[in-house]
Amino acid sequence: MADKAAAKPSPPDRPAPKPVPAKSTQSDEKRNFEPKYNWMDKTRQWGVRVKPGKAGLKLGDLNVGIYGETPTQWTDQSRNPRGAVPRRGMPPVGYAIRDKAGLWADCAADLYEEAIQRRWAPATDVPWDTIEPLPDDIEHALCQVCTELVSYANVDIETITGWQHQMSYGYHEVKQFLATASFDAARHYECFRKRALANGGGLGLEGPGMVNRMILESRGGWTEAVVYLLVLRGAFTLTLYRYLGRYAHNDAERFIFAHALADKARHVTYALDHLKYAVAHADDQLQVVRTLIAIGEGGLTRDLRDPVLREALAVIFGGGVAKAAHRGMAVYGEMMRDYVATYLGYCEWLGMPRDPARLPPPLNEFANPPDAGA
Amino acid sequence: MAVFPSVDWFDEVRNVFNADDRYRGAGGGYCNCVAGLKIADHVFVLTFDGVECSAAAEGDDGTLDDVDFYLDMSAADWRDMVGNIAANGAADLHHTLNTLDLDRADGLAMSRHGDQVREDLFFRYNQTLQFFFDASALVETAFA
Repeated sequence: MADKAAAKPSPPDRPAPKPVPAKSTQSDEKRNFEPKYNWMDKTRQWGVRVKPGKAGLKLGDLNVGIYGETPTQWTDQSRNPRGAVPRRGMPPVGYAIRDKAGLWADCAADLYEEAIQRRWAPATDVPWDTIEPLPDDIEHALCQVCTELVSYANVDIETITGWQHQMSYGYHEVKQFLATASFDAARHYECFRKRALANGGGLGLEGPGMVNRMILESRGGWTEAVVYLLVLRGAFTLTLYRYLGRYAHNDAERFIFAHALADKARHVTYALDHLKYAVAHADDQLQVVRTLIAIGEGGLTRDLRDPVLREALAVIFGGGVAKAAHRGMAVYGEMMRDYVATYLGYCEWLGMPRDPARLPPPLNEFANPPDAGA
Repeated sequence: MAVFPSVDWFDEVRNVFNADDRYRGAGGGYCNCVAGLKIADHVFVLTFDGVECSAAAEGDDGTLDDVDFYLDMSAADWRDMVGNIAANGAADLHHTLNTLDLDRADGLAMSRHGDQVREDLFFRYNQTLQFFFDASALVETAFA
């Protein structure tokens, strides 16, 4: 592990040394300017010296002394940075999310650093020149999938940014991580759109969007959005990326899906860590999340009944229309079984195991191996 | 010539990986995890710290209890993967860690601690792990 940051705070009650004002000059006097520097003793803790570790000076390293205090409720309604001296008379901003249980994840600061350090640029990092003409049916299918993924990414951006400004400043690690998550989503929007337009195809048919609407219209709080956006949809997107990477046609697609996978995995990690925290620290939250999950599954299954994404994926996995019905659909079934297994694993880990038999169709069809019960 | 699998071989791969800045940009870089490798009856542990792989060590089966995740394949499958990387300069599509994980009924990456967040480090750092094994293309390898 990297070296822990060191800090030598002075006692909180000892103010910063106050310099003696220099004698005013003649020109200063003309402006009637008499500096007092009385803001210099306005600090809650002075003398802090955090030091960089092997991975640099990380956001989490700054959580020393009072600067690391994250109370269970953030009562300050201003934009006062955590640890700063509040200014009297500041009008309230009106943050809606002031309970730590409503957004917190212990890993947020580390995920923020990870997102910053592992960033990539679709314009220049993706080897676009490795894309070569594909058979029309496969190009059509890939463009259709990219169309769907562009809309997923757009929902990520709108949902995250729609909640972010409602989160109290005191929990800045989460706000900063979510800023990277919305930027990740912008990058995904960009690269899937670029892939669709890079090889003689174009965007296809808009998806049914039931899950999109469910996510965007959720009003019960950020935790509810996390369940829909980052667990139900997130695990599905994660699995899609893995399979699309597995069946990539060139190095550009390999790069795109491998890197989008890493980004999405960070989002899911935040979600799991947050939900674990929320159910442990908020009364009744376990049951609430359990109910949300059941509602969310219903929305997801409505999208899954639409054949467009399924058919497009089968064409990609089968290597063309000719083999889509058999080989392609068989791989699609494997993908869905992987998704359901991942999703059920997440539910189990969160302490809310789901009975596979009670999943709504068609999810329940993928809850067991294909030969189970045969 | 380093013999796969051995600590010497992993150290040579570490030297290549740690010296190449290309592995740190474009989605690589910061990686903090302890990964186990189960190669038939042999167990090795790789420690990734910041932007480098800081240690490779041999362990035993009990060591796998403590790692974030471990990759489990038969000796023949490991040899096939390393040989493919040597032949192509990097894993082809059939030999990436992602493909090898998807192609196995029980997956390639697993854990014993039951902590989903730690197990999912395999996905978060998948590209760095791939870069690491791809770096072995520059290591002259003999197989045990």
